[in-house]
Amino acid sequence: MSTISLHDTHHDDHGHGHHHETFLTKYVFSQDHKMIAKQFLITGIIMAVIAMLLSILFRIQLAWPDKSFPLLETFLGKWAEGGRIKPDFFLALVTIHGTIMVFFVLTAGLSGTFSNLLIPLQVGARDMASPFMNMLSYWFFFVACVIMMGSFFIQTGPASAGWTVYPPLSAVPKAMPGSGLGMTLWLISMILFVASSLMGGINYVSTILNMRTKGMSLWKMPLTIWAFFLTAILGILSFPVLVAGVVLLIFDRSFGTSFYLSDIVFGTEILSNEGGSPILWQHLFWFLGHPEVYIVIMPAMGLSSEIIAVNSRKPIFGYHAMVYSLIGITVLSLIVWGHHMFVTGMNPFLGGVFMITTLIIAVPSAVKTFNWLATLWRGNIRFTPGMLFAIGMVSFFISGGVTGIWLGNASLDINLHDTYFVVAHFHLVMGAAAIFGMLAGVYHWFPKMFGRMMDVKLAYLHFWVTFICAYLVFFPLHFIGLDGVPRRYYAFTEFEFMDKWITVNILVTWSAIIAALAQIAFLFNFFYSIFKGKKATQNPWQANTLEWTTPVERLHGNWPGEIPTVYRWPYDYSKPGAEEDFIGQNVPFSQTMSSNLPHDFEGNEEGERIQREWEAVNKPVQE
Amino acid sequence: MVSTIQQEEETSISLKSKKFVVWLFVVSSTIMFGGWTSYYLVFMASKGKGHGLVLPEVFTYSTVVLVISSICLFLAARALKRGKANQQRLFLWITLVLGVIFGVLQFQGWTSLYQTGAVLVNNNAAISMIYIISGFHLLHIVAGLAFVISSLLGNYNNVSQEVAEYRQDITSIFWHFIDILWIYLYVFLLLNS
Repeated sequence: MSTISLHDTHHDDHGHGHHHETFLTKYVFSQDHKMIAKQFLITGIIMAVIAMLLSILFRIQLAWPDKSFPLLETFLGKWAEGGRIKPDFFLALVTIHGTIMVFFVLTAGLSGTFSNLLIPLQVGARDMASPFMNMLSYWFFFVACVIMMGSFFIQTGPASAGWTVYPPLSAVPKAMPGSGLGMTLWLISMILFVASSLMGGINYVSTILNMRTKGMSLWKMPLTIWAFFLTAILGILSFPVLVAGVVLLIFDRSFGTSFYLSDIVFGTEILSNEGGSPILWQHLFWFLGHPEVYIVIMPAMGLSSEIIAVNSRKPIFGYHAMVYSLIGITVLSLIVWGHHMFVTGMNPFLGGVFMITTLIIAVPSAVKTFNWLATLWRGNIRFTPGMLFAIGMVSFFISGGVTGIWLGNASLDINLHDTYFVVAHFHLVMGAAAIFGMLAGVYHWFPKMFGRMMDVKLAYLHFWVTFICAYLVFFPLHFIGLDGVPRRYYAFTEFEFMDKWITVNILVTWSAIIAALAQIAFLFNFFYSIFKGKKATQNPWQANTLEWTTPVERLHGNWPGEIPTVYRWPYDYSKPGAEEDFIGQNVPFSQTMSSNLPHDFEGNEEGERIQREWEAVNKPVQE
Repeated sequence: MVSTIQQEEETSISLKSKKFVVWLFVVSSTIMFGGWTSYYLVFMASKGKGHGLVLPEVFTYSTVVLVISSICLFLAARALKRGKANQQRLFLWITLVLGVIFGVLQFQGWTSLYQTGAVLVNNNAAISMIYIISGFHLLHIVAGLAFVISSLLGNYNNVSQEVAEYRQDITSIFWHFIDILWIYLYVFLLLNS
């Protein structure tokens, strides 16, 4: 491809970094991947705060179902008449909380931010394959957010059928207040969102496959890039199925077809729709929905792998195993969707097949978990804020993952289905874990994004309060679920057997409130440090990957001169014989003669010969 | 000097990766139609019935038209590679016209379905599905026509050979894809009546 090895001395006539930029093209309709990453991050943070506030609202309802809070009426008006949240609004709250968290925060906010930021920087590219499509991806996402939030300002309120929008609640506009315009807006917002995700994902895959710098073979890519790559592939394979399902749902709602509807009776009125089946929606939805939870967790895994290796000052344990387990998770996640549907009257044999595929996912997940622990083992650990959150991610992934093995068993799931046990499970394994992975990424790459450092003490406060409170919120829910309490119920006082759990709900709600308050420490730290934080050095964490070879000033085009060439894998930390405990990927082996190992040369005999000759002269023979 | 070469090299990498974007779009689009045809199969298996119709003859004609348009597009690409811009222009125009004819024929197909009583709003979801998949396929044709037009504009504006080939390539990828897609969908509907 390239035969040019001369160094470029005429940077000034280089095409990048010298566009005439206006405020509009630099900050609003930017096509620079780093700016788009920041746009995704800040939009994601705003959406996360909104979703968190929604959760506090329904947690208040769950803890004090019969108490009146006049303040709620002041803010929410008719949705909290008499200071009590109405049942319809309660359902809207859980629906929109779930939708925002899963799609807008943990898919767009997480993948959108870090894939955009890190893919070009870590593979050594000037920008994405199609910067224009990348910009469109953000703006589709932004409009999707606006439309979703807009549904709070309409008469009938937002969609209320749960984030999985099962028909018939979602397919019959008069089923409940949220099934009307709110549901329509939800569907429009989601189509825009899927378009955004696909444009993003397609860009990520194309960039990784076509635009890596010289020497950056697939097996020299950092685990972050592997994770983003496989996440993007998973998105490309599964999101279109959601579109297919949503299109049919829209036709059912608006044109009167019967894809998902049959035998519906309202009082004395029989709906004319006939012959469809709501189970078919569940198949189409979960064919996306299950890969979606891996779309959420895999970037968090990639970020954590990188951060744990950097801050343990050790190579990641089992790099190849980490990659193969990500591939394993990607493949398996496409054939397990049926475990969400064990109670739909599924053929028990088919249920057994889905059960086996589901339980097999425990294997790659465990490989990853043990590799993280083995990386930490006897490491020279630096407890930076990013590191704490990465370890927190591992903790939540274990705690939540273990209950996944329970739920994957059809015989247990039939009992636990739709109870608080499920809520506890997925909030730990994909909620808290993914959020912690995302926060780890924010703390770790903040210097790369803004050229400044975040405050460490505030970060510690943020970590410990959030970590402890997250466990206090989600752990007790397991026991409520084991007792058979169904999720999404409006008031625990309505049923005698649920009454005894009110006190636990009060503990959970208080923990949630404290955790929410702790986020103020983060928000302040984040926005304050953008402007007033300590100035960052070029490589503040002494990491090996290419993004730390770019200047702190963040140019359009990333590197002022030629893009660095890659010679080694990204995990040469604490290599015996090296002068420092890290060796950047762009450092050739000729500069590290004292630490080279035979396998570094990957069978290159010339390299091995030179190394042997050097060692014969320079190295004393060790006893 | 060096940086100009470098820049050219970066442009060609960027065109290559943009071409790859089209391939990925093809994949995701295939999966969307895969979603609908799997709906159809599961529906058929659980209800024991398909659309149960004899599909209008017009669909056969439209299939033939689409295949011919694909051949013309292939000829256009070959003409470009051989440096015959006028020939490329002619074949692109034929492709464009055939694409429009295909659309008209699809509308006729829907009309004759409608006249036999197999309407969109139907208690047999399999019949509604015929409209959904042929309708969304037609949307892809519209997008494909936009690609053809962009190649044509490239031809009229005398863009560089590299850009012209890039435009012609993505047009070909997409147009042949929607051609094959339609054949798949049509055969699928014929077999699963």
